[in-house]
Amino acid sequence: MTTGTQLRAPREEDFRSHLRSPAVAARVGLWLGIAFAVCFVTGLISHYAQNPAQPVPFPTSPSWGYRVTQGVHVVAGYGCVPLLLVKLWTVFPKLFARPPKAMRELALHAAERASIGVLVAAAIFQLASGIANAAQWYPWTTFSFRATHYAVAWVAIGALVIHVAVKLPIIRHALGAEVDDTTQDRPAATEPGVLTRRGLLRTTWSAAGVAALVTAGSAVPLLRRVSVLGVRSGDGPGGIPINKSASAAAVTASATAASYRLAVAYAGREVTLTRADLEALPQQTVTLPIACVEGWSASGEWTGPTVRDVMRLIDAPAGRDLRVESLQQRGAFRATTLSSGFADDERTLLALGLDGETLALDHGYPCRLIAPNRPGVLQTKWVARMEAL
Amino acid sequence: MRLRLAVGATGLALAAYGAFLVLSRQGLGDWVEIAAWLAVGVVVHDGVLAPLTIGAGLLVSRRLPAVARGPVAVGAVVLASSTLLAIPVLGRFGARPDNPTLLDRNYVVGWLVLAFLVTAGAVVGTVVRARTVAVAPVRGGGRPGARAGG
Repeated sequence: MTTGTQLRAPREEDFRSHLRSPAVAARVGLWLGIAFAVCFVTGLISHYAQNPAQPVPFPTSPSWGYRVTQGVHVVAGYGCVPLLLVKLWTVFPKLFARPPKAMRELALHAAERASIGVLVAAAIFQLASGIANAAQWYPWTTFSFRATHYAVAWVAIGALVIHVAVKLPIIRHALGAEVDDTTQDRPAATEPGVLTRRGLLRTTWSAAGVAALVTAGSAVPLLRRVSVLGVRSGDGPGGIPINKSASAAAVTASATAASYRLAVAYAGREVTLTRADLEALPQQTVTLPIACVEGWSASGEWTGPTVRDVMRLIDAPAGRDLRVESLQQRGAFRATTLSSGFADDERTLLALGLDGETLALDHGYPCRLIAPNRPGVLQTKWVARMEAL
Repeated sequence: MRLRLAVGATGLALAAYGAFLVLSRQGLGDWVEIAAWLAVGVVVHDGVLAPLTIGAGLLVSRRLPAVARGPVAVGAVVLASSTLLAIPVLGRFGARPDNPTLLDRNYVVGWLVLAFLVTAGAVVGTVVRARTVAVAPVRGGGRPGARAGG
Protein backbone atom coordinates (compact mmCIF):
# COMPACT_ATOMS: atom_id res chain seq x y z
CA MET A 1 0.00 0.00 0.00
CA THR A 2 1.20 3.51 -0.66
CA THR A 3 0.74 6.71 1.19
CA GLY A 4 0.86 9.98 -0.72
CA THR A 5 4.55 10.77 -0.83
CA GLN A 6 6.52 7.76 0.33
CA LEU A 7 6.24 4.09 -0.49
CA ARG A 8 6.14 1.98 2.66
CA ALA A 9 3.86 -0.30 4.59
CA PRO A 10 1.51 1.60 6.91
CA ARG A 11 2.24 1.59 10.63
CA GLU A 12 -0.18 1.50 13.50
CA GLU A 13 0.62 5.11 14.42
CA ASP A 14 -0.25 6.31 10.90
CA PHE A 15 -3.91 5.96 11.85
CA ARG A 16 -4.64 9.08 13.85
CA SER A 17 -8.44 9.33 14.06
CA HIS A 18 -9.69 9.15 17.64
CA LEU A 19 -12.73 7.27 16.31
CA ARG A 20 -10.57 4.17 15.97
CA SER A 21 -10.74 3.61 19.70
CA PRO A 22 -11.52 0.70 22.03
CA ALA A 23 -14.39 2.83 23.36
CA VAL A 24 -16.07 2.60 19.93
CA ALA A 25 -14.89 -0.94 19.11
CA ALA A 26 -16.29 -2.34 22.37
CA ARG A 27 -19.71 -0.78 21.79
CA VAL A 28 -20.02 -1.93 18.18
CA GLY A 29 -18.49 -5.27 19.18
CA LEU A 30 -21.08 -5.76 21.91
CA TRP A 31 -23.95 -5.57 19.43
CA LEU A 32 -22.06 -7.53 16.80
CA GLY A 33 -21.44 -10.24 19.40
CA ILE A 34 -25.10 -10.28 20.38
CA ALA A 35 -26.15 -10.51 16.73
CA PHE A 36 -23.69 -13.37 16.13
CA ALA A 37 -25.02 -15.18 19.21
CA VAL A 38 -28.59 -14.77 17.89
CA CYS A 39 -27.53 -16.12 14.49
CA PHE A 40 -25.71 -19.02 16.17
CA VAL A 41 -28.65 -20.07 18.34
CA THR A 42 -31.27 -19.71 15.59
CA GLY A 43 -28.89 -21.54 13.24
CA LEU A 44 -28.61 -24.44 15.69
CA ILE A 45 -32.42 -24.56 15.90
CA SER A 46 -32.65 -24.72 12.11
CA HIS A 47 -29.96 -27.36 11.89
CA TYR A 48 -31.68 -29.47 14.53
CA ALA A 49 -35.05 -29.09 12.83
CA GLN A 50 -33.53 -30.57 9.66
CA ASN A 51 -31.78 -33.38 11.50
CA PRO A 52 -33.37 -36.74 10.62
CA ALA A 53 -32.47 -38.19 14.04
CA GLN A 54 -33.87 -36.06 16.88
CA PRO A 55 -33.41 -37.35 20.45
CA VAL A 56 -35.93 -34.71 21.54
CA PRO A 57 -38.65 -34.40 18.85
CA PHE A 58 -38.85 -30.94 17.28
CA PRO A 59 -42.09 -29.30 18.53
CA THR A 60 -45.07 -28.86 16.18
CA SER A 61 -46.24 -25.69 17.96
CA PRO A 62 -46.28 -22.80 17.56
CA SER A 63 -46.80 -23.33 13.84
CA TRP A 64 -44.93 -20.06 13.13
CA GLY A 65 -41.97 -20.88 15.39
CA TYR A 66 -39.52 -21.83 12.65
CA ARG A 67 -40.74 -18.96 10.52
CA VAL A 68 -39.69 -16.56 13.28
CA THR A 69 -36.37 -18.18 14.23
CA GLN A 70 -35.19 -18.51 10.65
CA GLY A 71 -36.40 -15.03 9.68
CA VAL A 72 -34.50 -13.64 12.67
CA HIS A 73 -31.43 -15.67 11.68
CA VAL A 74 -31.25 -14.21 8.19
CA VAL A 75 -32.25 -10.63 9.04
CA ALA A 76 -29.74 -10.52 11.93
CA GLY A 77 -27.14 -11.76 9.47
CA TYR A 78 -27.85 -8.89 7.07
CA GLY A 79 -27.72 -6.45 10.00
CA CYS A 80 -24.27 -7.79 10.94
CA VAL A 81 -22.75 -6.52 7.68
CA PRO A 82 -22.50 -2.83 8.70
CA LEU A 83 -21.67 -3.81 12.29
CA LEU A 84 -18.78 -5.99 11.18
CA LEU A 85 -17.50 -3.40 8.69
CA VAL A 86 -17.46 -0.62 11.29
CA LYS A 87 -15.96 -2.94 13.92
CA LEU A 88 -13.13 -3.89 11.58
CA TRP A 89 -12.65 -0.22 10.66
CA THR A 90 -12.20 0.80 14.29
CA VAL A 91 -9.49 -1.82 14.91
CA PHE A 92 -7.85 -1.79 11.45
CA PRO A 93 -4.63 -0.07 12.71
CA LYS A 94 -3.99 -3.14 14.89
CA LEU A 95 -3.32 -5.08 11.69
CA PHE A 96 -0.07 -3.11 11.38
CA ALA A 97 1.01 -3.36 15.03
CA ARG A 98 4.68 -4.24 15.41
CA PRO A 99 5.20 -7.62 17.10
CA PRO A 100 6.99 -7.51 20.47
CA LYS A 101 10.63 -8.65 20.62
CA ALA A 102 10.65 -10.74 23.81
CA MET A 103 10.04 -14.42 23.09
CA ARG A 104 7.16 -14.95 25.56
CA GLU A 105 5.28 -11.82 24.48
CA LEU A 106 5.91 -12.67 20.85
CA ALA A 107 4.34 -16.12 21.28
CA LEU A 108 1.29 -14.65 23.01
CA HIS A 109 1.03 -11.92 20.37
CA ALA A 110 1.20 -14.52 17.58
CA ALA A 111 -1.47 -16.67 19.24
CA GLU A 112 -3.80 -13.70 19.65
CA ARG A 113 -3.23 -12.57 16.05
CA ALA A 114 -3.98 -16.10 14.87
CA SER A 115 -7.23 -16.26 16.87
CA ILE A 116 -8.31 -12.89 15.46
CA GLY A 117 -7.40 -14.04 11.95
CA VAL A 118 -9.64 -17.07 12.42
CA LEU A 119 -12.43 -14.92 13.88
CA VAL A 120 -12.37 -12.39 11.03
CA ALA A 121 -12.13 -15.09 8.35
CA ALA A 122 -14.97 -17.13 9.87
CA ALA A 123 -17.17 -14.06 10.45
CA ILE A 124 -16.79 -12.79 6.87
CA PHE A 125 -17.30 -16.32 5.54
CA GLN A 126 -20.53 -16.80 7.50
CA LEU A 127 -22.04 -13.51 6.38
CA ALA A 128 -20.92 -13.83 2.74
CA SER A 129 -21.95 -17.48 2.33
CA GLY A 130 -25.27 -16.95 4.12
CA ILE A 131 -26.17 -13.90 2.04
CA ALA A 132 -25.18 -15.71 -1.17
CA ASN A 133 -27.26 -18.73 -0.17
CA ALA A 134 -30.32 -16.56 0.53
CA ALA A 135 -30.10 -15.42 -3.10
CA GLN A 136 -29.45 -19.03 -4.23
CA TRP A 137 -26.02 -18.04 -5.52
CA TYR A 138 -23.35 -20.69 -5.17
CA PRO A 139 -20.07 -19.29 -6.48
CA TRP A 140 -18.10 -22.10 -4.82
CA THR A 141 -17.82 -25.44 -6.60
CA THR A 142 -17.34 -28.39 -4.27
CA PHE A 143 -18.29 -27.82 -0.63
CA SER A 144 -21.79 -28.20 0.78
CA PHE A 145 -23.28 -24.89 1.94
CA ARG A 146 -25.28 -26.40 4.76
CA ALA A 147 -22.50 -28.54 6.26
CA THR A 148 -19.91 -25.78 5.91
CA HIS A 149 -22.05 -22.88 7.17
CA TYR A 150 -22.86 -25.07 10.19
CA ALA A 151 -19.26 -26.11 10.88
CA VAL A 152 -17.78 -22.62 10.42
CA ALA A 153 -20.47 -21.24 12.74
CA TRP A 154 -18.86 -23.20 15.58
CA VAL A 155 -15.44 -21.88 14.56
CA ALA A 156 -16.76 -18.30 14.46
CA ILE A 157 -18.55 -18.47 17.81
CA GLY A 158 -15.55 -20.21 19.41
CA ALA A 159 -13.10 -17.59 18.09
CA LEU A 160 -15.52 -14.88 19.26
CA VAL A 161 -15.59 -16.32 22.79
CA ILE A 162 -11.75 -16.49 22.80
CA HIS A 163 -11.62 -12.87 21.61
CA VAL A 164 -13.93 -11.77 24.43
CA ALA A 165 -11.78 -13.65 26.97
CA VAL A 166 -8.58 -12.00 25.69
CA LYS A 167 -10.07 -8.49 25.57
CA LEU A 168 -12.26 -8.73 28.68
CA PRO A 169 -10.41 -6.08 30.77
CA ILE A 170 -10.41 -3.62 27.84
CA ILE A 171 -14.09 -4.30 27.11
CA ARG A 172 -15.06 -3.87 30.77
CA HIS A 173 -13.22 -0.59 31.08
CA ALA A 174 -14.56 0.72 27.76
CA LEU A 175 -18.19 -0.14 28.50
CA GLY A 176 -17.90 1.18 32.05
CA ALA A 177 -16.58 4.57 30.90
CA GLU A 178 -17.98 7.33 28.70
CA VAL A 179 -17.75 6.83 24.94
CA ASP A 180 -15.40 9.84 24.75
CA ASP A 181 -13.04 8.34 27.33
CA THR A 182 -9.49 8.25 25.91
CA THR A 183 -7.55 6.28 28.53
CA GLN A 184 -7.34 3.16 26.37
CA ASP A 185 -6.70 4.93 23.07
CA ARG A 186 -3.52 4.44 21.09
CA PRO A 187 -1.15 7.38 21.68
CA ALA A 188 -1.36 8.44 18.04
CA ALA A 189 -5.18 8.37 17.89
CA THR A 190 -5.86 11.96 18.86
CA GLU A 191 -7.27 13.68 15.77
CA PRO A 192 -10.99 14.44 15.68
CA GLY A 193 -12.85 12.57 12.97
CA VAL A 194 -15.46 13.72 10.52
CA LEU A 195 -18.05 12.46 13.01
CA THR A 196 -18.10 12.40 16.78
CA ARG A 197 -17.88 8.99 18.43
CA ARG A 198 -21.55 9.16 19.27
CA GLY A 199 -22.23 10.18 15.68
CA LEU A 200 -20.31 7.16 14.37
CA LEU A 201 -22.21 4.83 16.70
CA ARG A 202 -25.58 6.26 15.67
CA THR A 203 -24.53 5.93 12.03
CA THR A 204 -23.63 2.29 12.61
CA TRP A 205 -26.95 1.49 14.28
CA SER A 206 -28.75 3.28 11.43
CA ALA A 207 -26.81 1.34 8.81
CA ALA A 208 -27.65 -1.94 10.55
CA GLY A 209 -31.31 -0.91 10.74
CA VAL A 210 -31.37 0.01 7.05
CA ALA A 211 -29.66 -3.28 6.12
CA ALA A 212 -32.35 -5.19 8.03
CA LEU A 213 -35.18 -3.07 6.68
CA VAL A 214 -34.25 -3.38 2.98
CA THR A 215 -34.01 -7.17 3.22
CA ALA A 216 -36.53 -8.31 5.86
CA GLY A 217 -39.60 -8.12 3.61
CA SER A 218 -38.98 -11.65 2.36
CA ALA A 219 -39.91 -12.83 5.87
CA VAL A 220 -42.06 -9.98 7.20
CA PRO A 221 -45.12 -9.36 5.00
CA LEU A 222 -45.57 -5.83 6.41
CA LEU A 223 -42.18 -4.81 5.02
CA ARG A 224 -42.63 -6.26 1.53
CA ARG A 225 -42.87 -2.85 -0.12
CA VAL A 226 -39.99 -1.39 1.87
CA SER A 227 -37.52 -4.22 1.37
CA VAL A 228 -36.26 -3.18 -2.05
CA LEU A 229 -33.27 -5.55 -1.80
CA GLY A 230 -35.15 -8.60 -0.46
CA VAL A 231 -34.52 -11.87 -2.29
CA ARG A 232 -38.25 -12.38 -2.86
CA SER A 233 -41.27 -10.12 -3.02
CA GLY A 234 -43.33 -12.89 -1.42
CA ASP A 235 -45.46 -13.42 -4.50
CA GLY A 236 -46.07 -16.66 -6.31
CA PRO A 237 -48.85 -19.08 -7.25
CA GLY A 238 -51.44 -18.98 -4.44
CA GLY A 239 -49.49 -16.13 -2.80
CA ILE A 240 -46.49 -18.27 -1.96
CA PRO A 241 -43.03 -18.18 -3.58
CA ILE A 242 -41.36 -21.29 -4.96
CA ASN A 243 -38.01 -22.63 -3.90
CA LYS A 244 -37.54 -25.43 -6.45
CA SER A 245 -39.65 -25.64 -9.57
CA ALA A 246 -41.07 -28.85 -11.01
CA SER A 247 -38.80 -28.57 -14.01
CA ALA A 248 -35.71 -28.06 -11.81
CA ALA A 249 -36.73 -31.17 -9.86
CA ALA A 250 -37.35 -33.01 -13.17
CA VAL A 251 -40.82 -34.17 -12.11
CA THR A 252 -43.04 -32.37 -14.64
CA ALA A 253 -43.85 -35.54 -16.60
CA SER A 254 -44.30 -37.89 -13.64
CA ALA A 255 -46.34 -35.37 -11.61
CA THR A 256 -48.81 -34.69 -14.42
CA ALA A 257 -49.05 -38.26 -15.75
CA ALA A 258 -52.47 -39.96 -15.64
CA SER A 259 -50.67 -42.96 -14.16
CA TYR A 260 -49.70 -40.99 -11.00
CA ARG A 261 -50.42 -42.94 -7.82
CA LEU A 262 -49.58 -42.25 -4.19
CA ALA A 263 -48.31 -45.38 -2.46
CA VAL A 264 -49.16 -45.70 1.24
CA ALA A 265 -47.42 -48.50 3.12
CA TYR A 266 -47.28 -50.06 6.56
CA ALA A 267 -46.07 -53.44 7.83
CA GLY A 268 -45.66 -55.01 4.41
CA ARG A 269 -49.03 -53.78 3.16
CA GLU A 270 -49.32 -51.15 0.49
CA VAL A 271 -52.22 -49.38 -1.19
CA THR A 272 -52.06 -46.96 -4.09
CA LEU A 273 -54.27 -43.91 -4.37
CA THR A 274 -55.09 -41.58 -7.23
CA ARG A 275 -55.50 -37.86 -6.65
CA ALA A 276 -59.27 -38.42 -6.94
CA ASP A 277 -59.04 -40.95 -4.09
CA LEU A 278 -57.34 -38.30 -1.95
CA GLU A 279 -60.02 -35.74 -2.91
CA ALA A 280 -62.68 -38.23 -1.74
CA LEU A 281 -61.24 -38.28 1.79
CA PRO A 282 -62.49 -35.72 4.37
CA GLN A 283 -60.91 -32.38 3.45
CA GLN A 284 -59.41 -30.00 5.99
CA THR A 285 -58.29 -26.41 5.47
CA VAL A 286 -55.47 -25.05 7.62
CA THR A 287 -53.47 -21.83 7.56
CA LEU A 288 -49.78 -22.66 7.80
CA PRO A 289 -46.60 -20.89 6.75
CA ILE A 290 -43.95 -22.17 4.39
CA ALA A 291 -40.73 -21.04 6.03
CA CYS A 292 -37.61 -21.63 3.98
CA VAL A 293 -34.13 -22.13 5.44
CA GLU A 294 -33.13 -19.19 3.23
CA GLY A 295 -35.17 -16.96 5.54
CA TRP A 296 -38.19 -16.11 3.40
CA SER A 297 -41.62 -17.23 4.50
CA ALA A 298 -45.25 -16.85 3.51
CA SER A 299 -48.51 -18.02 5.00
CA GLY A 300 -51.02 -20.00 2.94
CA GLU A 301 -54.41 -21.62 3.25
CA TRP A 302 -53.92 -25.29 2.44
CA THR A 303 -56.64 -27.85 1.74
CA GLY A 304 -56.42 -31.64 1.70
CA PRO A 305 -56.83 -34.77 3.83
CA THR A 306 -54.83 -35.00 7.04
CA VAL A 307 -51.82 -37.27 6.83
CA ARG A 308 -53.31 -39.19 9.75
CA ASP A 309 -56.52 -39.91 7.75
CA VAL A 310 -54.44 -41.15 4.82
CA MET A 311 -52.42 -43.47 7.04
CA ARG A 312 -55.61 -44.80 8.62
CA LEU A 313 -56.53 -46.26 5.22
CA ILE A 314 -54.01 -49.06 5.83
CA ASP A 315 -54.58 -49.17 9.60
CA ALA A 316 -51.20 -47.65 10.41
CA PRO A 317 -51.34 -46.80 14.13
CA ALA A 318 -50.57 -43.36 15.55
CA GLY A 319 -47.16 -42.79 17.14
CA ARG A 320 -45.20 -43.95 14.09
CA ASP A 321 -42.60 -41.95 12.19
CA LEU A 322 -43.26 -41.76 8.46
CA ARG A 323 -40.86 -41.94 5.58
CA VAL A 324 -42.07 -39.52 2.90
CA GLU A 325 -40.69 -39.82 -0.61
CA SER A 326 -40.98 -37.42 -3.51
CA LEU A 327 -41.28 -38.12 -7.23
CA GLN A 328 -37.90 -36.36 -7.43
CA GLN A 329 -35.16 -38.81 -8.37
CA ARG A 330 -32.32 -36.76 -6.89
CA GLY A 331 -31.67 -34.17 -4.21
CA ALA A 332 -30.78 -34.28 -0.52
CA PHE A 333 -34.41 -33.95 0.57
CA ARG A 334 -35.92 -36.40 -1.92
CA ALA A 335 -36.93 -38.59 1.02
CA THR A 336 -37.53 -37.21 4.52
CA THR A 337 -38.60 -38.55 7.87
CA LEU A 338 -41.79 -37.11 9.32
CA SER A 339 -41.56 -37.81 13.03
CA SER A 340 -44.68 -39.08 14.77
CA GLY A 341 -45.40 -35.75 16.48
CA PHE A 342 -45.86 -34.13 13.05
CA ALA A 343 -47.48 -37.18 11.43
CA ASP A 344 -50.19 -37.34 14.12
CA ASP A 345 -50.82 -33.58 14.30
CA GLU A 346 -54.27 -32.79 12.94
CA ARG A 347 -52.87 -29.74 11.12
CA THR A 348 -50.47 -31.87 9.06
CA LEU A 349 -52.01 -32.27 5.61
CA LEU A 350 -51.35 -33.91 2.33
CA ALA A 351 -52.30 -30.67 0.59
CA LEU A 352 -54.19 -30.85 -2.71
CA GLY A 353 -55.08 -27.17 -2.90
CA LEU A 354 -53.71 -23.77 -1.91
CA ASP A 355 -55.70 -20.59 -1.46
CA GLY A 356 -58.89 -22.20 -2.82
CA GLU A 357 -57.26 -23.42 -6.02
CA THR A 358 -55.72 -26.66 -7.19
CA LEU A 359 -52.13 -26.90 -5.97
CA ALA A 360 -49.77 -25.48 -8.60
CA LEU A 361 -47.32 -27.90 -10.18
CA ASP A 362 -44.41 -25.89 -8.76
CA HIS A 363 -45.97 -26.12 -5.29
CA GLY A 364 -46.04 -29.91 -5.43
CA TYR A 365 -49.08 -31.05 -7.49
CA PRO A 366 -50.60 -33.68 -7.26
CA CYS A 367 -50.03 -33.47 -3.47
CA ARG A 368 -47.53 -32.13 -0.99
CA LEU A 369 -46.81 -32.35 2.66
CA ILE A 370 -47.58 -29.31 4.82
CA ALA A 371 -46.94 -29.48 8.55
CA PRO A 372 -46.73 -26.81 11.25
CA ASN A 373 -43.38 -25.41 12.47
CA ARG A 374 -41.21 -27.24 9.96
CA PRO A 375 -38.41 -26.04 7.64
CA GLY A 376 -39.59 -25.64 4.04
CA VAL A 377 -37.10 -28.18 2.68
CA LEU A 378 -38.86 -30.88 4.70
CA GLN A 379 -42.34 -30.01 3.38
CA THR A 380 -41.99 -32.64 0.68
CA LYS A 381 -43.52 -31.76 -2.71
CA TRP A 382 -44.78 -34.19 -5.39
CA VAL A 383 -45.27 -36.89 -2.76
CA ALA A 384 -45.00 -40.38 -4.28
CA ARG A 385 -44.90 -42.61 -1.22
CA MET A 386 -45.60 -42.52 2.52
CA GLU A 387 -44.58 -45.40 4.73
CA ALA A 388 -45.22 -45.78 8.45
CA LEU A 389 -42.01 -47.06 10.08
CA MET B 1 -7.92 -14.18 35.31
CA ARG B 2 -9.32 -17.61 36.12
CA LEU B 3 -12.66 -16.58 34.59
CA ARG B 4 -10.91 -15.39 31.44
CA LEU B 5 -9.00 -18.65 31.15
CA ALA B 6 -12.22 -20.63 31.55
CA VAL B 7 -14.00 -18.52 28.93
CA GLY B 8 -11.02 -18.79 26.59
CA ALA B 9 -10.87 -22.57 27.00
CA THR B 10 -14.59 -22.79 26.22
CA GLY B 11 -14.04 -20.76 23.06
CA LEU B 12 -11.16 -22.99 22.05
CA ALA B 13 -13.33 -26.09 22.52
CA LEU B 14 -16.17 -24.60 20.43
CA ALA B 15 -13.80 -23.60 17.62
CA ALA B 16 -12.07 -26.99 17.73
CA TYR B 17 -15.45 -28.71 17.38
CA GLY B 18 -16.15 -26.55 14.30
CA ALA B 19 -12.79 -27.52 12.81
CA PHE B 20 -13.56 -31.17 13.56
CA LEU B 21 -16.91 -30.83 11.75
CA VAL B 22 -15.20 -29.36 8.69
CA LEU B 23 -12.58 -32.11 8.63
CA SER B 24 -14.80 -35.06 9.47
CA ARG B 25 -17.83 -34.39 7.29
CA GLN B 26 -16.15 -33.28 4.09
CA GLY B 27 -13.27 -34.45 1.93
CA LEU B 28 -9.85 -33.04 1.09
CA GLY B 29 -11.08 -31.15 -1.98
CA ASP B 30 -13.70 -29.42 0.17
CA TRP B 31 -11.14 -28.49 2.84
CA VAL B 32 -8.95 -26.79 0.25
CA GLU B 33 -11.87 -24.83 -1.18
CA ILE B 34 -13.22 -23.86 2.25
CA ALA B 35 -9.76 -22.67 3.33
CA ALA B 36 -9.45 -20.67 0.10
CA TRP B 37 -12.84 -18.97 0.64
CA LEU B 38 -12.01 -18.22 4.28
CA ALA B 39 -8.79 -16.55 3.10
CA VAL B 40 -10.48 -14.72 0.23
CA GLY B 41 -12.86 -12.94 2.61
CA VAL B 42 -9.99 -11.58 4.70
CA VAL B 43 -7.94 -10.60 1.66
CA VAL B 44 -10.89 -8.81 0.04
CA HIS B 45 -11.62 -6.91 3.25
CA ASP B 46 -8.07 -6.02 4.26
CA GLY B 47 -6.74 -5.57 0.74
CA VAL B 48 -9.66 -3.98 -1.09
CA LEU B 49 -12.51 -2.74 1.13
CA ALA B 50 -10.35 -1.25 3.90
CA PRO B 51 -8.04 0.72 1.55
CA LEU B 52 -11.08 1.91 -0.45
CA THR B 53 -12.70 3.09 2.78
CA ILE B 54 -9.53 4.92 3.78
CA GLY B 55 -9.41 6.54 0.34
CA ALA B 56 -13.06 7.57 0.59
CA GLY B 57 -12.42 8.94 4.08
CA LEU B 58 -9.54 11.07 2.78
CA LEU B 59 -11.73 12.36 -0.05
CA VAL B 60 -14.51 13.31 2.36
CA SER B 61 -12.25 14.96 4.91
CA ARG B 62 -10.05 16.85 2.43
CA ARG B 63 -12.18 17.68 -0.58
CA LEU B 64 -15.60 18.40 0.89
CA PRO B 65 -16.66 21.59 2.66
CA ALA B 66 -16.65 21.08 6.43
CA VAL B 67 -20.43 21.25 6.81
CA ALA B 68 -20.96 18.43 4.31
CA ARG B 69 -18.42 15.98 5.76
CA GLY B 70 -20.52 14.53 8.58
CA PRO B 71 -23.72 14.00 6.57
CA VAL B 72 -21.79 12.56 3.62
CA ALA B 73 -19.89 10.16 5.88
CA VAL B 74 -23.15 8.96 7.46
CA GLY B 75 -24.73 8.45 4.05
CA ALA B 76 -21.66 6.64 2.74
CA VAL B 77 -21.62 4.15 5.63
CA VAL B 78 -25.34 3.42 5.25
CA LEU B 79 -25.33 3.13 1.46
CA ALA B 80 -22.02 1.28 1.09
CA SER B 81 -22.93 -1.43 3.59
CA SER B 82 -26.37 -2.02 2.08
CA THR B 83 -24.82 -2.07 -1.40
CA LEU B 84 -22.27 -4.66 -0.33
CA LEU B 85 -24.90 -7.03 1.02
CA ALA B 86 -27.00 -6.49 -2.13
CA ILE B 87 -24.30 -7.76 -4.51
CA PRO B 88 -25.97 -11.18 -4.96
CA VAL B 89 -29.37 -9.65 -5.82
CA LEU B 90 -27.99 -6.78 -7.91
CA GLY B 91 -25.91 -9.29 -9.92
CA ARG B 92 -28.86 -11.74 -10.06
CA PHE B 93 -26.28 -14.54 -10.03
CA GLY B 94 -28.74 -17.08 -8.62
CA ALA B 95 -31.62 -16.23 -10.98
CA ARG B 96 -33.24 -19.20 -12.72
CA PRO B 97 -35.49 -19.02 -15.76
CA ASP B 98 -37.78 -21.73 -14.34
CA ASN B 99 -38.44 -19.84 -11.09
CA PRO B 100 -39.89 -16.35 -11.51
CA THR B 101 -40.58 -16.06 -7.73
CA LEU B 102 -36.87 -15.88 -6.91
CA LEU B 103 -35.10 -12.50 -7.21
CA ASP B 104 -38.43 -11.12 -8.46
CA ARG B 105 -37.80 -7.44 -7.80
CA ASN B 106 -36.21 -4.74 -9.91
CA TYR B 107 -33.15 -4.45 -7.70
CA VAL B 108 -31.47 -1.71 -9.71
CA VAL B 109 -34.50 0.55 -9.29
CA GLY B 110 -34.70 -0.44 -5.61
CA TRP B 111 -31.05 0.43 -5.10
CA LEU B 112 -31.48 3.74 -6.93
CA VAL B 113 -34.40 4.63 -4.64
CA LEU B 114 -32.28 3.78 -1.61
CA ALA B 115 -29.34 5.78 -3.00
CA PHE B 116 -31.64 8.72 -3.72
CA LEU B 117 -33.08 8.68 -0.18
CA VAL B 118 -29.62 8.45 1.39
CA THR B 119 -28.30 11.24 -0.84
CA ALA B 120 -31.30 13.39 -0.06
CA GLY B 121 -30.70 12.76 3.64
CA ALA B 122 -27.06 13.85 3.30
CA VAL B 123 -28.08 17.02 1.40
CA VAL B 124 -30.72 17.92 3.97
CA GLY B 125 -28.23 17.24 6.77
CA THR B 126 -25.69 19.50 5.10
CA VAL B 127 -28.17 22.34 4.60
CA VAL B 128 -29.37 22.09 8.21
CA ARG B 129 -25.80 22.15 9.47
CA ALA B 130 -24.85 25.04 7.21
CA ARG B 131 -27.68 27.09 8.72
CA THR B 132 -26.75 26.08 12.26
CA VAL B 133 -23.12 27.00 11.59
CA ALA B 134 -24.15 30.36 10.12
CA VAL B 135 -26.32 31.13 13.14
CA ALA B 136 -24.08 29.67 15.83
CA PRO B 137 -21.41 32.45 16.06
CA VAL B 138 -24.15 35.08 16.51
CA ARG B 139 -25.41 33.17 19.51
CA GLY B 140 -21.82 32.79 20.63
CA GLY B 141 -22.37 29.05 20.55
CA GLY B 142 -18.92 27.44 20.57
CA ARG B 143 -17.42 25.16 17.96
CA PRO B 144 -19.71 24.11 15.14
CA GLY B 145 -17.16 21.57 13.87
CA ALA B 146 -17.53 19.54 17.05
CA ARG B 147 -21.19 18.92 16.33
CA ALA B 148 -20.55 16.61 13.44
CA GLY B 149 -23.80 14.95 12.51
CA GLY B 150 -25.02 11.44 12.90
